[in-house]
Parts: sequence; structure tokens; C-alpha cells
Amino acid sequence: MELKDKEYWRSLEQLAGTDEFRHYLEREFPKGTVELAGNSWSRRSFLTTMGASLALAGLTSCRRPVEKIVPYVTRPEEIDPGVPNYYATTMPLGLSAYGVIVTTHEGRPTFIQGNPLHPSSKGAVSPIVQASLLDLYDPDRSRSVLHHGKETAWDDFVAWWKEQYDRYKQSGGEGLAVLSESFNSPTLSRLKRRFHETFPKAQWVAWEPVSDENIYKGIELATGRVLQPVYDFSRAQVILALDCDFLGTESEAIANTVGFTEARRVRSRSDAMNRLYVVEPSMTVTGMMADHRVAVDRGRVGSLLLALARVVTARGVPIEFARGVNRPNTELASDFVQVLSGDLGMHRGECLVVAGRAQPPAVHAMACAMNAALGNVGRAVTYHDIASLVLSSDTDLAALAANVEKNAVQTLIIAGGNPVFSAPRDMSLSTLLEAVNDTVHLSSHVDETSLSCSWHLPRAHYLESWGDAQSWNGANSVVQPVITPLMEGRGDVELYALLAGGEEVSAHDAVRETAQPLLGRAGFESKWRAGLHDGIMPGSGPAAVVPGLSMGELDLADADGLILSFDCSKHFDGRFANNGWLQELPDPVTKLAWGNAALISPKLAEEYDLENEDMVELDIDGRTLEIPAWISPGQADSSISVALGYGRAAAGRVGNGVGFNAYKLRTSDNMWFATGVKLRKLGPKYSLACTQDHGSMEGRPIVRENTLAGYKEKAEFYPREIEHPPPVSLWDEHKYDKGYQWGMAIDLNACTGCNACVVACQAENNIPIVGKEQVCNGREMHWMRIDRYYAGDIHDPRVLVQPMNCQHCEMAPCEQVCPVAATSHDPEGLNVMVYNRCIGTRYCSNNCPYKVRRFNFFNYMNELPELIKMAQNPEVTVRFRGVMEKCTYCIQRISLAKIKAKNEGRTVTDGEIRTACQAACPAQAIVFGNIGDANSRVSQLRQNDRRYRVLEELNTRPRTIYLAKLRNPNPALVKDTDAKAEGGHG
Amino acid sequence: MSVAETTEHAPGYESPLITGEQTFGSISRKIGEITERKTTMTWLLAFGAAGSLALVLLGSIGYLFYEGTGIWGLNVPVAWGWAIVNFVFWVGIGHAGTLISAVLFLFRQRWRTSINRFAESMTLFAVICALVFPGIHVGRVWLVYWIFPLPNQMGMWPNFRSPLLWDVFAVSIYFTCSLMFWYVGLIPDLATLRDRAVTKVRKFVLGLFSFGWRGGNRQWKNYELAYLILAGISTPLVLSVHSVVSTDFATSIIPGWHTTIFPPYFVAGAIFSGFAMVMTLAVISRKLLGLQDFITLNHLEKMNKIMLVTGMMVGYAYSCEFFIAWYSGSIYESFAFINRAFGPYAWAYWIMVTCNVLVPQVFWIKRWRRSIAVMFVASILINVGMWFERFVIVVSLARDFLPSSWDYYKPTFWDVSTLVGSFGLFFTLFLLFARFVPMIAMSEVKGVLPEADPHHGGKP
Repeated sequence: MELKDKEYWRSLEQLAGTDEFRHYLEREFPKGTVELAGNSWSRRSFLTTMGASLALAGLTSCRRPVEKIVPYVTRPEEIDPGVPNYYATTMPLGLSAYGVIVTTHEGRPTFIQGNPLHPSSKGAVSPIVQASLLDLYDPDRSRSVLHHGKETAWDDFVAWWKEQYDRYKQSGGEGLAVLSESFNSPTLSRLKRRFHETFPKAQWVAWEPVSDENIYKGIELATGRVLQPVYDFSRAQVILALDCDFLGTESEAIANTVGFTEARRVRSRSDAMNRLYVVEPSMTVTGMMADHRVAVDRGRVGSLLLALARVVTARGVPIEFARGVNRPNTELASDFVQVLSGDLGMHRGECLVVAGRAQPPAVHAMACAMNAALGNVGRAVTYHDIASLVLSSDTDLAALAANVEKNAVQTLIIAGGNPVFSAPRDMSLSTLLEAVNDTVHLSSHVDETSLSCSWHLPRAHYLESWGDAQSWNGANSVVQPVITPLMEGRGDVELYALLAGGEEVSAHDAVRETAQPLLGRAGFESKWRAGLHDGIMPGSGPAAVVPGLSMGELDLADADGLILSFDCSKHFDGRFANNGWLQELPDPVTKLAWGNAALISPKLAEEYDLENEDMVELDIDGRTLEIPAWISPGQADSSISVALGYGRAAAGRVGNGVGFNAYKLRTSDNMWFATGVKLRKLGPKYSLACTQDHGSMEGRPIVRENTLAGYKEKAEFYPREIEHPPPVSLWDEHKYDKGYQWGMAIDLNACTGCNACVVACQAENNIPIVGKEQVCNGREMHWMRIDRYYAGDIHDPRVLVQPMNCQHCEMAPCEQVCPVAATSHDPEGLNVMVYNRCIGTRYCSNNCPYKVRRFNFFNYMNELPELIKMAQNPEVTVRFRGVMEKCTYCIQRISLAKIKAKNEGRTVTDGEIRTACQAACPAQAIVFGNIGDANSRVSQLRQNDRRYRVLEELNTRPRTIYLAKLRNPNPALVKDTDAKAEGGHG
Repeated sequence: MSVAETTEHAPGYESPLITGEQTFGSISRKIGEITERKTTMTWLLAFGAAGSLALVLLGSIGYLFYEGTGIWGLNVPVAWGWAIVNFVFWVGIGHAGTLISAVLFLFRQRWRTSINRFAESMTLFAVICALVFPGIHVGRVWLVYWIFPLPNQMGMWPNFRSPLLWDVFAVSIYFTCSLMFWYVGLIPDLATLRDRAVTKVRKFVLGLFSFGWRGGNRQWKNYELAYLILAGISTPLVLSVHSVVSTDFATSIIPGWHTTIFPPYFVAGAIFSGFAMVMTLAVISRKLLGLQDFITLNHLEKMNKIMLVTGMMVGYAYSCEFFIAWYSGSIYESFAFINRAFGPYAWAYWIMVTCNVLVPQVFWIKRWRRSIAVMFVASILINVGMWFERFVIVVSLARDFLPSSWDYYKPTFWDVSTLVGSFGLFFTLFLLFARFVPMIAMSEVKGVLPEADPHHGGKP
């Protein structure tokens, strides 16, 4: 054998120069990723490319890649390998903007937390915000520009557009149309204005399948102006939510939750608490928190509100519209309406009526009028003018469709969104698109719409692109990239600039250009930098306006028969369907992962002889959908709910074929609900992945609760604790009296069950996604889960939720049974899991009374695409097959803080360590700290008279304590059966 | 005169343990012949079938090692499934051997001589089958040796508080003692075979294995002392092994597992199932190999009586568990037992009760106690029931403290193939034994012939 010198490459650079290496890289990251040419080299692009290239260099070898770790030759400033950096940026979602702080490890974003300075996130996240991180590393994201399905380059598109640009400029944009998503971004709005200047005759339509259009229309109906309502739930003592999941799926749920729990927090027995009345068709996160809840289908909510308005008027708070309109359905929940009206009347100026986006404009107009009459405007609700807002409009979309049908559109640019999948079915958009000469689609994935368009442009993730966004109350913030685009994507700003100006513009420059007049020329650079650092631009936010009421004509039709409601899912409108974290996340109410179902009430199930997982056919005027049924207690009897955004055909490897596409039933007449649904039972069953099979506590004191009034009398909670003799240990117990002693307190009164902690835990701790089949087998890996129990009447249940993670028992049953001592206690009271030592007998899991341990039945991590591995937290071990794992109280964060404190010659201060779940929680339900320090927040909560330990009688001594849940029912509505909240059956 | 009639007990008169007017010579011939004659077609067919099943076990284990324990139906509340059920089941089966050889020996129950050899062999094979499971059921099989207290540079010892570790010690000691006991008993018989051997090779090999046994007086004296001592050592093991195995469950805190009655209840159950398995094998082998004179209906009837007794002990334990569940006042405990009888696994519970409590009741009737057909069917049903007993216990996990994590465990193809395969391994080993080793302890059986104890008038 003849050896050549060339075979021994001397350095990585030499290897990287070979065609072979480029070939490998392209196979993994076609184009884009390693495109070194181009604009200036930013710190991040350098890091990213270095990171990716070096990681990929390993692929040239099929053995263990020894050349993976190469030290920096010249270390970039600000980077200490192993020490994460944090950058502020903004996640735009529809009209919302969520300020976030992104943790990056050596240039890779690995974790997202809320920006405390930002009004829409207030330091917390929602599941979608947290999970958006994974989308960055989605290997199914589109990797290049496609023209008629063939790979091509951005340059080709730019050249093509320049031709069109010149042509349309001549004609003033005749035949040119843009279909964009709705946005609230000063730069995009500026570019849109410029587009209209260039092409005065062009049509620009903004449309989203899930939008707040009804809210704006309703407010316009009531006030004559399009205004943004901004709610401050912390200022409302009595809240009426009308089909409004303001803690879950509505816009601004994070800020709403922060405010809501602030007014609900009970620190001692003398504290007051807000009262939540909920009227809704199906159980939601908000409904689970309700003090009083009435299940009413979507079509009758308006009647109930009207009836309420009449009673309120009759009680001396005149509400203008109450007399004129329509017939109120006074039969509906008349007790509830009577009592509620009294409560609202008593809390004038400190109550709030909110309606959900699925309610028609008339209901929003009425809610607006109610708030005005009750004196809440300027307090719990304020209205803001937002100039840069580009609203979604169903009518505009219909007009566009009509134009296309008339052949009046030659070039259609679809800037984001997936209308072929989500547009109302009566428009049949996919066939319409064929009639357009040139269609351009900007999208992160080659999705359903891309497949019908002649051009597909890859869209950059928000963590890769420059942009800006305004929050709901007008605060400006910048979308700052934390990594150069991994694929060949470009952001919206770049595309809009190209469309409006005909030439390529750096998004960074465009955003700065917008900021110039806002920040002023003097000291711009320092203000700009401060804004980037803080994640929010200084001195922004328009003042609230107090609109006058000028009620327009209200159109309120009462619906009859069986009603189908469409709900916004955890994938929003379906755009996050390829996100494994979200797919595997159990629904907060039904606990269904990996799919949707037709939710029906137990009564309807009985009527139609349906069981869970029975396939049914839903028929609306000949449009049919086959979908499995799922019985959800708390569902209105006349209502069937289906979540939108499932059943994607071109979402990617994760989202394809998961669930059933409810858009098939959605038409422009019934965007949010449809009457006259025909339900028919089909033969077969369809397996759904539910993470909680049993919804009753069986009378066990697991989640304990009382009413506020009952608690004020006596600190007693139900179900009562189990009487037991004083627990005796077989051996001398460890004292745990020195040094740090970690503990956690979870306030069940604050927890809404929103799931933010579950996703945050998954992101922080490299928890694998196991897929539908494994979830069906009961093998989901979430370290933090949220248990949901029903209590009371099954037709009108109370719902209790409880975050459950490792309780870190001082007398841990798991530790005693492990034959190899792979799980043991550390001196700080942590129940630690030594992965290296674990041989996987699973005995610990069997003996865990809380069943919080999770086992790697397969090598789940091995199947992960390389790209997704970049999302992993380098501080946390990736677990191999055959190893048990569980919550560690984020031991990596504890260690980091301890090391930092030691270096600085001090002890860790209270609140310095925040576990991932705690950091995510908008309700601030989770407190972590040193229980050895009597002044720490967690120690004080351990003194609270609502504290209890789950399964205390087993003498496991959990370090996690819970604070019992309280409800604040109106005494006038308390039924005898509710008098003592004997949690239990259902 | 039929065999049944000649072995009938008459009051005040003990019938001979061996029938057919056997002599020392006829015993050596009849039993020795089985290992000496040409391999029969029946044996080959049986061996082929059993061997194929053993290969199924091998294949299942191979796939298990390749993919991980996820190929089984395990999930998070039920993290132990059929592997542990099978382990406890086989360990239980392995109890009859020691009981018959050691305990009955110490109690001078001379009728044991006809069945002790293959009861002991069965014990060994059952324990081998049992030992397969703890080894393969762990997540990282390549590190399973960490459960042994091997000295290492980290000073890392196993956790001596863990019942799984106790299991390792208990079962391995049991296996070692049983093996020694079995082999010591085999030495005189191997020597007999050596003396009967016609080929040189056979003579040499058997000569090696019989350790130069000549049958001298001094050798017999030492032999019997050794046998007695080993019996003494083995006797406490009968109680300890399954008691220790039961602590896997009893020391946990899971309702349905955390039960102090488990040690005696497991031991009774183990003897019960062990005798049933001996019965199944005895009925088949005495028929196929023509050993009706050695394993008489008397022997079988005695075993049936033991099954009746232990079956009722097990039945008592079942009812006692329910009483304690109620009497304890623990809501978790009460729920666990109501759930056993009426919950999602009620079908398994009632199979268990039927097979283990009701079926042995047929042995109250003498005619059925002495009916081969009845005892054969009953012995198989009892082992089905005993397998379900362990299953019912293990799946108590499905519904423990927090209802939120309740789930249902369903076995997969691989669970089934592993269980079926373990039977294959068991029968393969048993067939090899039946072919190459004397199935009945010739030297001991000779000891219960009248000739071994000559008296005036011919009566002992």
C-alpha cells in the first residue's frame, strides 16, 4: 500500500479547504450555513460558523470525532468557553411582541427566558415562546430558494424581482399583490408605506388564521376607532372572561397571568383575592382557574352578556346598548347572571369584562361598553393608538381572492403565513394560486403554500434576523439576531425592503433607519445600544386614550343546535406544528399530546354513545372531517371543540400527519364557530396519546384546597390530610443543618397549569422528545409534569392542577432500593441521580410514590438530527439508553451560582438561583431557595399556614412543599355541595 | 393387579415405596439404561422443540440488548414487567428441589428418594432460568456486574440496603448450594454408570465425574456426612431465598407491595409451584420412561397432599392481605386490594384465585388425588395461577399513590417470546439431564428396598 503525504491533513483548515469536506458540509447544511462570503463578519457569525464547521468536521470520520474540540486561536472578546452569554431580543408573534433574553453557549442559543423589562413578557415565558428556540434548529427548515421546485439562489430571485420591480413601477403596481401576516413593527410598517408609494395600485392584504380582528372590530364598533385594549388584571377584583382564555391561548397571556396572579396572591389570612367568573364553551386554562364557571357554547355567550347587561342596567349602572338589541336569553344561567351583576356593580372601577378573539365583534363592543359603564377604562383596561399596527382582515383576504379570480393579480407575494393550509375553505386558495402568473412565498419551511407557489424563499428565524416590534402598549423593542442564519433564510425586513425598494438592504441598517427619528439624532448610538442591551427602546410607548362611546349597530344572532368551535392550539395556528417540544407537550386540560380531538361533554358522549378515541364525522354543510372524539368534562353540552393547526401535510418530519385538520371545516362565514353541525359516530377507534389516564384524586389529599372564606375561618384544606401516627425512622436521620439546604415551594393558588415550566424544563435539561407511540406507552420524559384532577360534578367540574417534579425527599424511597447506589443524597438535601453509575434496574421509579422518575427505554437522543443537538444545554449531561433520570432542581444552575459566590467570597443570595421552571413561570408559583436560611422566600413560604407536603404520611420528607389552593366563590352562588370542597370524584 | 391397587395404603401397614419386585440389579439396569440406550425419536423431537424455544429466548435477548428494554411493554408506573414476574416465578419453581432433597431428608421422609433427583435438577434449571432475568432486565446490561461487591479504585460498593442486592446474594448462594447438593448426591450413581459403561470414552468421562468413587465403607461414611451437612445448610435456604425475593416488594412503599406477610406467603407459594412443576414433569417422565415402579401413585399422592396444604396457605395469605388492607385503615392499601379484585387487572386476579385456591381443592377427594389426569391438569393450572400471582403483584404498580400517573401495562411480543423462550431453556436443560444423567437416585432408591435393611421375617 502506498501512502501519500496528502492523506495526512495537517490542520482543520487544510481539511476544510477540500472539496470533499465542502461536500460533507453541504450534505448536512446545504448552502447558507457555511457561506462565509457576504457582509461583514460579526462576532456571532464567526462563532456560529466556527462552531458548525468544527462540529461538522467530525462527520468526515465515522469513528469518534477527535477533532471536535479545537481551542480558539484568537479568542473573541466576550466569550469565555463554558460561560454563557445573554442577549435581549424580541419574539414577534402576530401582533404581539415578547421580549426575551436568550442564553447562548459559544454562540448557540440554548434557552429563552422572559425579559423582565418588557411589558409583554415581564420576565416570564409561555410554552410557545420557550419552544420557539427549537424551531431555530429545525432540520426541516427550508435551506434554499426554490423556483418551481428547483434549488436556486437568492441572487436569482433578486434579479427576477428587479425586473418585476421595474415593470410594476411603470404600471403603478397594477396586478401586484402582497399577502402578509399581520404585524406590529415600525420598520415593516415603514417599508409597507414605501411599498404603497412605489406601487400605488398594488394591493396589500394582511391576514392571519388566528387573529384578534374581532376584538379590534368590536372596539371600533363601540368607539369608532381602532384601538388596542391593554388589560391590567392586577387592578381587577372581579373579572368576567367571556370565552376568553386570557391566561392561555389569547394574546398577551403572559402579561395577563402576571397581573392576574398578582391580584390573586394570598400571603396571609388577611389578604384579599380577586374573583374570576368564566363563561366558555370548553375548559381552558382560564376556566380551570375560575371561581365560577358556566359552560356555554360559543354562539350563546353574547346572549348571556346581553342578559347580564340588562340586569346591570336594572341595578343602576346604565349600559347603553342593553335595551335596544335583540332578545336576551334570560334562561341561561340566570343565578349566575344575577349574582355576577351584583358583584360587578359592587366593584365598579375595579372589575374587568374581557371577551375572547373567537367572539363576534358585537360581543366585544358590548364588553367595551360594559367596561366603560363600570368605570374600568383607564384602570384595568386602557386603550392605545397603535400607528404601526397592520391588522389581519378576513374581508381583505376575500377581496384578494376575488381579485385573483378576476385574473386581476399577476404577481402575488405571500410574505409569511401558510394560507393554503389555513385559509377559509370556501376560497379554495390552492386552485386560485394556480391562476396567478408568479407567486412568491416567504416561509421557514417548504409548506403547503410553498408547494403551490412558483417561488419559495426561506425565511430566517427571529433569532437570526434583525427587526423590530411594538408591544401591545406601544413599547418598542428590537429583534436582535443572536446567531447568523443557519439556513439560507432572510428576514421579513430584508424581503419588504427588497419589495419596496427594488434592491437588497441590510436589515440592520433598515431597523436603525426606523429607529433614528424615534430615538433622535443626538446620542443615537448610545441610546440604540442601551435599547439593544435592555431589549426595549428608551422612552417609547404612546399614552393611553380614553375613547368616547358611540355604539354602532349590534348584530347578535342566537345560535341553535350543535355548535362546533375552533380553538387556537398550542401550535398557535399550526405554524409550530413541527416543533417536537410543543407536539409532545400535553394539552393543559385534556392532557393530549401529539394530536387533537373533537372535545365533547360527557352528556353529549352519552347521547351519541361515544367513548374516548371513537372516530366521529363532523359535517357542516357537506364539508366533513373525521376525527376522534375525546370526552372533556366542562365542555358545554351543545358544543364540540376542535383545535386548529393539526393535520399538517407539509410541516416537516415531526408535524406531518399529526392530528386532524380542522381548517377543512372553516369557511369565511364561520371563522370561529359553526352552527348546525352534524355529528356521526364512525366505527373504528383512533389511538390518542394522553399523558394522564385518570382524572380523579380518589379522595386523596393530593391537591388540597379551600375557599378563601373557609381559609379565613380556619387554615384547613380538603381533602383532609390522612391521620397517621408520628412517623418514626428506622435509623438516625441526617440532620441537614449545615450549609445550603435547597428546597422548593409551589403555590397551587397561583399555578394556572399553563405548561410554561414543562417546556422550560425540557429546554434546560436536554429532555428528549419520545414521539406519539412512546407517549401512548406511558414513557414521556418530562421531568416536570402538571397533574390535572377533576372534582365535584362531572358535568360542572372544578379543576385542580399541580406541577409535579422530583420532590427531593430527605428520606427518599428511591435511594434505599437502588442496588448500585446510583441515586443518593448530597449534603445540601438534593436527591441526586448519578447517571454514570445507573445500570437501569428501574427499581427507584417503582418505589417513587410521586412517579416523577423517567427512564430512557430507548436511546432517544441517538436519533436526534445533528442540528437539534446544537440546541442542547452543554451544562447538562445527555442521558444514554438504560439510564434513569429526573428533576435535579436544576443542579447546574445551583453549581454555577455557588461557584460564582465562592469566587466572590460570599454566600449565594436568596433569589440568585432560579430553576428553569421558576424562571419560566408567569404566575410566579414556584419559589426555590435555601431552606437553611430562615429569611429566604422559600423558608417563609414553608411557614405559611397553607403549606403541606404531598403524601406526608409516608415519611418521605419532601423538600418540595405545596401551598394549598384557594378559591373565592361568591357566597351567593355557593351550592350546598360546594360548601366543603371535598375534592375527589369525577 | 394394577399399580394403583398394590400401592394402596392399608391402615397400620406401610406399603413398599418401590414396586415391581425390584432388586439392586434391576434398579441399576432400569435407570441406568435410560442414559445408555440409543437416542429415541421421541427424545429427539422433544429436544428439537425445546431447543427451538430456547433459541427464541436467545433471539429475544439479542434483540433486547440491541434495542433496549423499551421493546417490552414497560412504562413509568409499571417499570417492572414480565421479566421480574418470570424471575420470581422461576425462583419459586426452584424451591421444590431443595425442600424435597434437604428438608424431607432431614425429616427422614424416605419416599423422597424416588423424586429427589429430578426435583433437584429441576431446581437447578429453574434457578438458571430465573437468573437470566435480573441480568437482562436492566437498562445497561453491559454494566450489570456493578451489582456485585467488586473492589475498585473508587471504593464504590453496591448499596447494601437494596433488596435487589440481597436477591443477588440469596439466589446465588441458593444456586451454589443446590448445585453442590445435587452433585454430591450424583457421585455414587455416576460411579454405577461408569461401572456399567462399555465404551472406553464413556468409562473415562464418567470416571472423571464420579471422582474415583469405589463404594467403600469409609467413602459411604464420609459421603453420608457430607450429604447431611449440605442438607443442613440447604434447609434454611428454602426459607430464606424466597423470603429475600419477597423483600423486593415487601420493603418498598408501594401499596400492594408493602406487605409484611410476603416472606412466608412467598415461601409457601414457592413450594406450591415447585411441587406442581415436579408433578408435571414426574407424570410425563414416568410415563415416557417407564418409571411407574419407582415413582408410584403413592409418591404422587403425597405430593398432591403437599400441594393441597400449600395451596391453602397461599389462599390464607390472599385473604389475610385483604383483611390487613382493611384493618390497616390506609386508604392506599385498601384501594390497592379492591383494585386488584375489581380494577383493570381483575381478570388476572381471578385467574390467580381460581388456579391457586380453588383448583387444589380437588385433592380433598382421594380418587382425584390419585388420578393421573386430574393431577396433571391441576399441576399445570397451579403453575399458571402462580405465574399470575407474581403478575398481579408486579402490576400493583399500575395504580399507586398519585392517580395522575396511573397507567395500564400491556405486554408486547417480546415479553411473550422471552417467557416462552425461558420454558424452552428449562425443557432443553431438563431433556439433556434426562438423557445423560440418572433421573432417579439409584443409590438412594436401593436404600429403601427391603434388601437394604434385612430383618428376620423380611419385615422391617
